[in-house]
Amino acid sequence: MTFNSLQFLVFFMVITLWFFRLKDQKGRIWLLLLGSCYFYMSFIPEYILILGGSIITDYVAGLLIEKNEGRARKAWLVVSLIANIGVLAVFKYYNFFVDNIHAGSLFFGKSLTLPMLKIALPIGLSFHTFQAMSYTIEVYRKNQKAEKNFATYALYVMFYPQLVAGPIERPQNVLPQLKEFRPYKWDNIKEGIARMLWGFFKKVVIADRLAMVVDRTFSHSHDSSSIALFAGILFYYFQIYCDFSGYSDIALGAAKVMNIRLMENFNQPFFSKNMGDFWRRWHISLYSWFYDYVFNPLITSLRNLGQAAIVLSLLITFFLSGFWHGAAWQHIVYGLIHGVALIYEYFTRKQRKKLFARMPKAVGNVIGVSVTFLFVVFTRIFFRAENMRAAMDYFKGIFSFSRGSNYIGMNRLEVCLSVFLVGLMLYRERTLPGYFIRSDKRFYFYTIAMVVICYYLGVFAENQFIYFQF
Amino acid sequence: MLKRIFRDILIVSGLILLWASTSRTAMKYLSDKRDNNTWWGTYQCLNGDLVSMAHLDAVARFNPRKLKQNFKQPAYEGTRKTDLYLDGDSHTWHLDITNFAGLSAFHYFERTHGYRYHLDKDKKSILLIEISERYLQSYFSAPNMFDEVYDTSSQQKNSLLRCGPRAEIKQYASLFESIGLSELFNKNINQNLECNLFNYNFIMPMFEYKAALNYYAFNRASGDVVISNDRKFLFYKETVSRTDVGSSYYAVTADDKARIVDILNKVYDHYKAAGFSEIYISIVPNSASIMQPDGYNNLIPDIQNDPRLRMKVIDIYTVFKKSKELYFLPGDTHWNFKGKQLWLDVVNERLLQDTAAH
Repeated sequence: MTFNSLQFLVFFMVITLWFFRLKDQKGRIWLLLLGSCYFYMSFIPEYILILGGSIITDYVAGLLIEKNEGRARKAWLVVSLIANIGVLAVFKYYNFFVDNIHAGSLFFGKSLTLPMLKIALPIGLSFHTFQAMSYTIEVYRKNQKAEKNFATYALYVMFYPQLVAGPIERPQNVLPQLKEFRPYKWDNIKEGIARMLWGFFKKVVIADRLAMVVDRTFSHSHDSSSIALFAGILFYYFQIYCDFSGYSDIALGAAKVMNIRLMENFNQPFFSKNMGDFWRRWHISLYSWFYDYVFNPLITSLRNLGQAAIVLSLLITFFLSGFWHGAAWQHIVYGLIHGVALIYEYFTRKQRKKLFARMPKAVGNVIGVSVTFLFVVFTRIFFRAENMRAAMDYFKGIFSFSRGSNYIGMNRLEVCLSVFLVGLMLYRERTLPGYFIRSDKRFYFYTIAMVVICYYLGVFAENQFIYFQF
Repeated sequence: MLKRIFRDILIVSGLILLWASTSRTAMKYLSDKRDNNTWWGTYQCLNGDLVSMAHLDAVARFNPRKLKQNFKQPAYEGTRKTDLYLDGDSHTWHLDITNFAGLSAFHYFERTHGYRYHLDKDKKSILLIEISERYLQSYFSAPNMFDEVYDTSSQQKNSLLRCGPRAEIKQYASLFESIGLSELFNKNINQNLECNLFNYNFIMPMFEYKAALNYYAFNRASGDVVISNDRKFLFYKETVSRTDVGSSYYAVTADDKARIVDILNKVYDHYKAAGFSEIYISIVPNSASIMQPDGYNNLIPDIQNDPRLRMKVIDIYTVFKKSKELYFLPGDTHWNFKGKQLWLDVVNERLLQDTAAH
């Protein structure tokens, strides 16, 4: 059940109205839990068993971590981490390792072939395993008490708005909200629905429209002109933003309607002045996770190495973040390039500061934003390409300045409309975030307008959200 | 109070809607009741499957010319001693024994359903596999596709004829099927919901406005339908997208083609052993392969002309290519009346040759 489906709209209506019909929190937790099970099972029902298994493991591990001290405490944390990473390793990374072992053995003149797993990746696996791990780590660090109520803990992992593509939440934020009886508030309903509609708009009107260009250019990289290929990758940056942030808007809006506030996942990343700034604005919940649970512990344990500690910690963190996105070399390269960019920024921070101090602030900002934007645009080729070879071919196509086809999958009028929509999206997010809910009249007008626009300008091609595959 | 009643009505309606859209029984009941032209009836697919998928009824150029469809009844005076088993798809629906020359019996079955057959040893039994180009690769690429047929091949009296891939049965799915959960998670729920919520004759103008906007402003059709480069035809996206295996432009390797030929040979050997005197294959080309041939992957000619192929070919691709006539409907995945008649003519010619040779 994707957010941009009719099934979700009916499901959301039933669950939300029923939620407010119930007068005690226990009933609401069970309703949301059962609803979340239905939501998850509507993708592939059998995979609820895997999710259930990891929930039970982490629930028990949390209780035992809290109960024990010393080595036993650490041992239960390790059990929880192994269980979560083990599930990821089997379902997401096993075939990648088998493939590479085979390729490696061929390099040494032998052919070692292990059986491949022919199973679909459970949807949202990387998201909910990371959320589950943050719980046991926080209990281990004594920042969070172990949750005694199994249903509440299960709902923390399975809460349907953020179950399959985040935001990757922390227990300190969500668990207290799930336990507390949250009364009906019209302002929350307005805010939540307005945000959901904005998310639908970004997904079906912008992202799925831009997808036509991106799909066309990536499947015609050999016979498209450099301009067409550049347009394709430029549109891809906006597509993936509108797709993923659109999903996050729907998730945050759906939770907000029930008076539950989830963490923000994006903060206008197109206006980032450098790569460090970019990673504080893009997929915030994932990168704050890596910062808290990978980068910080690494830099602490490697502190004796001096500046090498920063280099190593950044490389390892961004290697893992690339690998998190997909079991493929192009994702790893994508992560490492960003890691190297951050290392470069770290070592040149003083020189850059001096350089920017010599020019007017606005000029410095424009240069910083432009360079960061172009860097992200070009590195996105690795993120989108099917494999390393396709990524390199795409790069070659752009920089060969060839005169192939300029057709990018839509006519001029639709290209103009797409550019206008992207501009509108940037303007609305930067300037008018709360404008349409300040009065009921504005809200009603906005709601009707968004429904009509989403229907008439929406591209309903049953496109899944890009981040579902992770 | 009124608000609460309204809220409860919405909850119950939503639950009923979800249930009705997952239940096959409920959907069948509803579609039977709504299969009419009243305002609450369902949208009738009158102008072609692609036109209806894209709601382009308002664009006249894609609507078919209404022709009287009476296929020729071939004259035959000799003894009728040939049984034809036609393994077909929607291209060969609504045919009967009168459309074929010199048959003593005509058996039609769709490959996905299977068919129990009993060969009459006193007659000549011919198996004709008619398949759309877009399904060719997916049907004839699976290495284990004929296990079921092989398993039953010894029972000559009542063998199973199924020229499609064996359904992959996931072991773990049986648990959910046994407790009835598989229906609750019906994969067609969104189509069913769309049908129950919006597929009413009185709402159709809204869909048609949107389709017309896309067509006239953006030069494209909605959903899974693509407009041809000359803007005269609609194509099913699956048949023109370079990433779909059923596409005319999908990069098919020599190995892929060889694999298809190998499997066709296995099919041939199997049915020969089962008692059929001849096995034919007839691949109906995607309309894009004929109408928009630039970049065509040559799947049909390469398969048909492969010297290793033992199965006999009823070649409609070359006939369509050579002719300047139009053999496809502008807004449909299928051939038009002329195309189907031409195919029947070619098949009948072959049947008569075979009968004469027998």
